[in-house]
Amino acid sequence: MIDERELAINPIVQDSVRHNAQTLSNIRALTASLFGVGAGILGLESYPGFAFYLLGTFVVSSLIYLLRVAPESQSTGSKDGANLYFYRPMMDLWVGDSVGNMMGFVLTWTLFYGLVRA
Amino acid sequence: MGLLSNSLNLTGVIFLTHAVYSAYEHSLLTSSSSSSSSSGEITSLPLDITIETLLSLLVLCTGIVIGAPSLRPIQWAVWASSVEKEDHVSLEQRRALVEEKVRAGGTVGNPFAVLDQRNGFLDIRAKRREFADWVREGGAAK
Repeated sequence: MIDERELAINPIVQDSVRHNAQTLSNIRALTASLFGVGAGILGLESYPGFAFYLLGTFVVSSLIYLLRVAPESQSTGSKDGANLYFYRPMMDLWVGDSVGNMMGFVLTWTLFYGLVRA
Repeated sequence: MGLLSNSLNLTGVIFLTHAVYSAYEHSLLTSSSSSSSSSGEITSLPLDITIETLLSLLVLCTGIVIGAPSLRPIQWAVWASSVEKEDHVSLEQRRALVEEKVRAGGTVGNPFAVLDQRNGFLDIRAKRREFADWVREGGAAK
């Protein structure tokens, strides 16, 4: 798994890791607030709202995988897909910092819920 | 890429704004026409507003994902090979590539190019001969 020897044989470019993480976190922050707007319009409350957020996060991850990761890794000719761009694809791409962005989601969720149902 | 994502984002924002306004008007209408309890109006959001909201969200997400700067390979071997390939493209392609990278806020070109390309040693004998010829001709500036 995470082995110093493995890293010495196949080194990682820190600059690219940082760039990828920043790109993903930008996308996540933007889409989380947008899902908050959606949940506010639909008038979701408590658990359905959070389920909506989790579903939206999954949809965005799939979009990133289908539109950005899969075509670009195919053009370079390698088969390992998300491993090409992420050190731990499961954590970085699919789970990510969804808990941190949930705050932005709740913010716009409550705002638009209050605006629409004044 | 840029035009497609921008048009998708614009379309999504317009439809999302319309959905917000429609939902607001709908809740205003139902609360003024019938003084029912507020729990009733949550389920009574029309189907078209729901569909519009979900579709505009999907369009916006697609636009945001397409418009994001491209990811870079993290494995050193893959990354280095892509950087090496960039050194052997035509000037036009190279200019476009550099522009795209600068906009994304990344480093441009091979960071080790300075090790590969170095000026040769100065040929001091040739320089001295040139100077001697110049002096022999009278030292006048050409």
